[in-house]
Amino acid sequence: MTTGTPTSSTPGSGTRETTVGIGAGAATELGTSDMVLNIGPQHPSTHGVLRIKLRLDGELITAAEPVVGYMHRGAEKLFEARDYRQIVMLANRHDWLSAFANELGVVLGVERMLGMEVPVRATWTRTLLAELNRVLNHLMFLGSYPLELGGITPVFHAFHEREQLQAVMEEASGGRMHYMFNRVGGLKEDLPAGWYGRVRAAVASVRSRMDVFDDLVLGNDIFRARTRDVGVLAAALVHAYGVSGPIARASGVDFDLRRDEPYLAYPELADVLKVVTRQEGDCLARFECLLEQAHNSLDLADACLDRLAGLEPGPINTRLPKVLKAPEGHTYTWTENPLGVNGYYLVSRGDKTPWRMKLRSASYNNIQVLGELLPGTLVADMVAILGSLFFVVGDIDK
Amino acid sequence: MDVTPTPHSHGHSHGQDPFAGPVPLGMPDPAAPGGAVEPRRLGPLARLAPDPVKVVLNWGRRYSLWCFNFGLACCAIEFIAASMAKHDFIRLGVIPFAPGPRQADLMIVSGTVTDKMAPAIKRLYEQMPEPKYVISFGACSNSGGPYWDSYSVTKGVDQIIPVDVYVPGCPPRPEALLQGILKLQEKIAHESLPDQYPAAPVPAAALKRPLLPAPAPDAAPADAEEGTAQ
Amino acid sequence: MPPLPSGSVGPTGHTEHTGHTGQSHQRGSGHSGRSGGSGGFPGRGLAKGLAVTLRTMTRRSVTDQYPDAQPELPPRSRGVIALLEENCTVCMLCARECPDWCIYIDSHKETLPAAEPNARARTRNVLDRFAIDFSLCMYCGICIEVCPFDALFWSPEFEYAETDILELTHEREKLREWMWTVPPPPALDPAAEEPKEIAAARKAADKLAAADAAAEAAAAAAQESAGTTPPPGGEEPAP
Repeated sequence: MTTGTPTSSTPGSGTRETTVGIGAGAATELGTSDMVLNIGPQHPSTHGVLRIKLRLDGELITAAEPVVGYMHRGAEKLFEARDYRQIVMLANRHDWLSAFANELGVVLGVERMLGMEVPVRATWTRTLLAELNRVLNHLMFLGSYPLELGGITPVFHAFHEREQLQAVMEEASGGRMHYMFNRVGGLKEDLPAGWYGRVRAAVASVRSRMDVFDDLVLGNDIFRARTRDVGVLAAALVHAYGVSGPIARASGVDFDLRRDEPYLAYPELADVLKVVTRQEGDCLARFECLLEQAHNSLDLADACLDRLAGLEPGPINTRLPKVLKAPEGHTYTWTENPLGVNGYYLVSRGDKTPWRMKLRSASYNNIQVLGELLPGTLVADMVAILGSLFFVVGDIDK
Repeated sequence: MDVTPTPHSHGHSHGQDPFAGPVPLGMPDPAAPGGAVEPRRLGPLARLAPDPVKVVLNWGRRYSLWCFNFGLACCAIEFIAASMAKHDFIRLGVIPFAPGPRQADLMIVSGTVTDKMAPAIKRLYEQMPEPKYVISFGACSNSGGPYWDSYSVTKGVDQIIPVDVYVPGCPPRPEALLQGILKLQEKIAHESLPDQYPAAPVPAAALKRPLLPAPAPDAAPADAEEGTAQ
Repeated sequence: MPPLPSGSVGPTGHTEHTGHTGQSHQRGSGHSGRSGGSGGFPGRGLAKGLAVTLRTMTRRSVTDQYPDAQPELPPRSRGVIALLEENCTVCMLCARECPDWCIYIDSHKETLPAAEPNARARTRNVLDRFAIDFSLCMYCGICIEVCPFDALFWSPEFEYAETDILELTHEREKLREWMWTVPPPPALDPAAEEPKEIAAARKAADKLAAADAAAEAAAAAAQESAGTTPPPGGEEPAP
């Protein structure tokens, strides 16, 4: 076995005597020997350091094993040495495309343990930021997935929209990716004057350009040919592996925590929130789910802005004690992150640091299904399937 | 894993080459940061080349940095952002289309280097042809960053490969990468290859740094060593 | 499937391998009908792509000319941390709360002679070293948030890449220099609560005004009837 990019071949179990022949009957006798091919850990199609061990029979994948851990940073252990304010800063980094949603889970858990009420403006602003973050995340995949299939253009469009949204996020929080804007009891500070208006403009501008993905990508022959009926994920597998998020919904599993166990201001957004589902479960369905969900998130962001405009002036955070200690006990908080269900199991012994904080990340479960999805497909389809699972390596390895 | 687990002997060993054959790939050795660099050799022609030739060579190297992106974590997203239309580092002569490390001049390590990934990084670095440059992009690859006290994280990529420019930030904004690239180009413009590859062996003392003063006793202990003593 | 117009990735021969994959290849089964190019003339996809190219060509470029033109950054942008040394009381809160523990502070105690003859001699902390290791910093801003005396500020500056990692540890002189680049904070949203600094200043001003009014009233009263006590609280310290 080698590390890095080179491939190595080992004589597989199915080695047969190779008979070379020409003619109709020869093809069946032309035996092939298995080959083990390492995709990754550094490989363009894994957009990160995921390694997949493939066993190949010619071009056909007979077995696939995702090898995780190249990005394992031990965040759970580090949580135990940091207090509740510092954890927020670290928790957003495991899934770097959905930093805001990651922070949210931590603070919601701590607030629940403390029995803390969050001001209304903070709740609505959090919902708004969470949805903007969802759009940012989805735009990344909407751009990078066609890139993996050979279409370079969409990623430039995706990043153009991302830059606009990142500009408003940076104006509010100061960061382009890691916002670190959540605090226990609300948000870090109030928003700059005129910010809501600029968010509205940014959302409108992004929406006006989403047709790039609706038409140019989804309407592309090559894209459709490479994704339709490729990598069909059955609903049973979704349940067996705990797959969640847009990938699960593309297989007909109608589950969205924003609707089924609402948090933040989602109960009041039920008329805008649309849980996008598909029945096919193939790569194209997953992409369609992601795209439609991005559209819906833009609508949700607008709905949040409407509500925020009508809210009474008020605080956006609550005053905290100098030393914040969660009472003894445990709680499990899960949120619908852009990539799926993200959960934190928080065990406190009454100290200012958690005794244990277990992280349930969406991509880790989502990627495990590769072992079932890849066998029987071709190497060329592997890229399409891998990309359509929309994972972030840090979210896999934590 | 075919990487040899033996800890490598540290230091740039120039001149007489103690290693015959391939350079052993080792796990990062905290005792020898930046060590285990393959012995570098330079032909007499390059050493004796007149100054105008060097200027031309440096100019050429400066503005055609074929770049090999080692995207590892969050910073990789900002790296991609820097290569997109808004920031577009191709303007500066950085070409992100290197088909692989063997065709690249510049490696940008963006993201957390874990101990499991470190051998691969070292291997790919050693596949790059000379002259090669490394930009460490972001706190994680500078020194471990937010994860410096983790059991599985390498405390900076400069523990395994030499780094030319450190870009601070977590993650740094794309403009910061552009500035890092400008800094590297300045460095390349002023460099002279014979100085970089001296004929005589470098004494080990030249590679050492004096110890940093310890932090105040009531400050957080032991982080000065981890963080800054590279 | 119409003939593929461009020489890029093709559909990689799904139909030939249907037997291998064992998946049901029912093309067009129930996907939401954003009819792609599959219905039009051959090469329609290519034409559409080129139309986008042409349309984009006529637009202005979005590229920022960074080294020539500096980006306009919002005041909250987290670029570098500036230190207003004069405000620092060496309380060590920032160094303790930092999630990376990348702030190094050295100090010593200094005894001041007693201001009055019978008062005790006071001691105060003197800052010897204040350094932030920006190679380690995770730019979270906790130090700035916890600083009780407003000695730390964010500056949007980002141009401090170095060739030597030791240079990334900015000592207090350098941190003081960043202070000149700190922008004023943005005005807050109308629905926001008054910032506590403004609220405190307003309270102090109200108190002062009340005291002044009381003093004037008392002075007027004193003129009327000499020998009364002076007005209480003539000079209120601002909190």
